Amino acid sequence: MKRTLILLLLGLAVGTGSYRLQLHFRATPESASLDHHLAWMKAELNVSDEQLARLRELHEASEPQMRLLASKVIQLQGELAAFEQTRRAAGEVDFMELGRFVEIRRNVYQECLVSTRQLVVASAALMTPAQRRHYLALVAPSMAAEVSPPM
Amino acid sequence: MSAEEKDPLDALLDRRGPAPPPDDIDRVVWRRIALLQRKEARPGLWPTLDAWFSRWSVATLFLVSCALIGLFMAELRVSQQERERNAQLTRSYLVLINPLLQAPGARPTP
Repeated sequence: MKRTLILLLLGLAVGTGSYRLQLHFRATPESASLDHHLAWMKAELNVSDEQLARLRELHEASEPQMRLLASKVIQLQGELAAFEQTRRAAGEVDFMELGRFVEIRRNVYQECLVSTRQLVVASAALMTPAQRRHYLALVAPSMAAEVSPPM
Repeated sequence: MSAEEKDPLDALLDRRGPAPPPDDIDRVVWRRIALLQRKEARPGLWPTLDAWFSRWSVATLFLVSCALIGLFMAELRVSQQERERNAQLTRSYLVLINPLLQAPGARPTP
């Protein structure tokens, strides 16, 4: 009886141990760096090393501009929130200021649209037709977000 | 009905004797005895496990099976995690290439 109990507990320990060990060795580090995105593209799109090197160049080249545009978009969102707060508090809107804001925002959004499209088109140009189809299907939500910006 | 009047059924009931035993009574009795003996002889779950685990081959097989089940469950979990990670990487790639999505409140839905 004691032997059976020990064996059952040992079986439970062995099963749990093998489960945890396997999870430990198969775990992948969580990160959102460009390297991880490129590794993901390599696995997802099955691109060659040469294609990957070109994709890296493209993405690294566009990264500073994307960051700049992103900071502009965030700044514009802050300004919009400030407009809304003023409108609620004072009950009036400075239409000259709002018009200037809308114009700037339109230009920034246009810049974002152009930058993203350039990067997507340049990346897709490096790919085979099958890879391109898959890639464009993956980035389609990003392109849809450009068509209808918030507000 | 008065006490003097006799019910016609009474005569029939008076004539009724004990029921004759069935023809195959021996077989019925022996079958019941065999059934009782089988019930008494059947061991419980624990003694059965004890008996099985007393063989080292069965015990080894049990431990190996536990390890394999653990590995299988881990593989299922890993593949689920990889699917989630791929979806997460897809979302973060879309954010990476589109500055509009980097702003709070704008998230793609692939």
